[in-house]
Amino acid sequence: MKFSKEQWRMVTALLLVAVLSTTFLGITNILTRAPIAEAERQALMDALMQVLPKHNNDPIQDTRQISLPKHKQATTFYISRNQNQSINAIAWETIAPDGYNGSIRILMAVRPNGSLNAVRITYHQETPGLGDGIMNLSWLDAFVGKSLSNAHWAVKKDGGDFDQFTGATITPRAVVKAIKKGLEMFAKQRAYLFEDKKEVAKELKDALR
Amino acid sequence: MHCGSGTEEQVADTKGEIFANGFWHNNAIFAQLLGMCPLLGVTTSAENGFWMGAATLVALLGSNLVVSLVRDFIPSSVRIPAYITIIAAFVSMIGMAMNAWMHEMYLILGLFIPLIVVNCAILGRAEAFASKNTPVNSLVDALAMGSGFTFALVLLGGVREILGQGTCFGFNILGDSYPDVLMFILPPGAFIALGFILAGVNIINRRMAAKKEQQALQTTQIPITLETQS
Repeated sequence: MKFSKEQWRMVTALLLVAVLSTTFLGITNILTRAPIAEAERQALMDALMQVLPKHNNDPIQDTRQISLPKHKQATTFYISRNQNQSINAIAWETIAPDGYNGSIRILMAVRPNGSLNAVRITYHQETPGLGDGIMNLSWLDAFVGKSLSNAHWAVKKDGGDFDQFTGATITPRAVVKAIKKGLEMFAKQRAYLFEDKKEVAKELKDALR
Repeated sequence: MHCGSGTEEQVADTKGEIFANGFWHNNAIFAQLLGMCPLLGVTTSAENGFWMGAATLVALLGSNLVVSLVRDFIPSSVRIPAYITIIAAFVSMIGMAMNAWMHEMYLILGLFIPLIVVNCAILGRAEAFASKNTPVNSLVDALAMGSGFTFALVLLGGVREILGQGTCFGFNILGDSYPDVLMFILPPGAFIALGFILAGVNIINRRMAAKKEQQALQTTQIPITLETQS
């Protein structure tokens, strides 16, 4: 098959446009990669600062990964330590899959005694003015200090401790359920999360001796 | 897509006329009703509307300039895929830049940034204007169209924010006692507010047309009065 002169022109024109566009996209990608990573780190840092108590370490560096059942990706736990380097809270992001409109991502920080230090919503697509009441700090503050043993984990309509909103029960219900599940998971993984790497190494040495 | 086929292109010679056409007479929203998806999707507040408009303006400037520069080189049979590739490249670059340097706004506008690619207002300008005009005129057209689009987005976003939350650009305007009218933040409010804005635009256009007619009448009368005096 032979191309006519007009066909060659079409091919070269499209090829050139594609090559040039891709080149510029590549350059932009290289230029923005570092700033995007920095912006995401900053956003995570800001959110962690809001949920964690005063700490003396960098929680973004001090992490543990756990592959939880039914999760595709490993969950990252951010560890906060006080001056004595003992853990004073652990934060991680949990997902409420059953929001009114898609999943809701929740950053929760738990103290060693199993009570919540603070909770923040990091991502949601709930109805503005109705479901997005979960963003209100006054609502989120109701979770502070709550643990599996000292609260009824349901919205008031279902006989629990937490307010629902007028016209929106599904959203707060999903958030309360996800936080409860998160606390239950924390109780199960506690041993692993709190074990100190140094102590593990020592135990191993003792066992080998 | 009915890109660029909405209204007939008015003939414009000077840069001022190109600007007036783009900003008002052929306004993507008010006159052509193009780009409805971002218009209705992101205008829950004036600020969101402004940044969506700004992103669209930059995409328009880039695509109009490049399309105009390569207009003699692209065979007409493959012009649409070529234009779309150019537009998509600009929009992707804007998306990356916003993600890097305006991270919070990027998270809010999110999905609507890539959708600028299929905003008919942009392909429409490439097809109807930039492919037939010089780079400088195409830039003027892009500036006019883009700022007209931004103006429409800020106007609708502002109206919805004031009526829905009692604030404008985040500033409290109607006081704390204002009962938020939720409907204006929800999608139906966008359609209702847009309807009233379009009605207002039509009133202004009609008044302007009537004024022009009157002026035309007066200018024809002046020579007659001069003649009788001399």
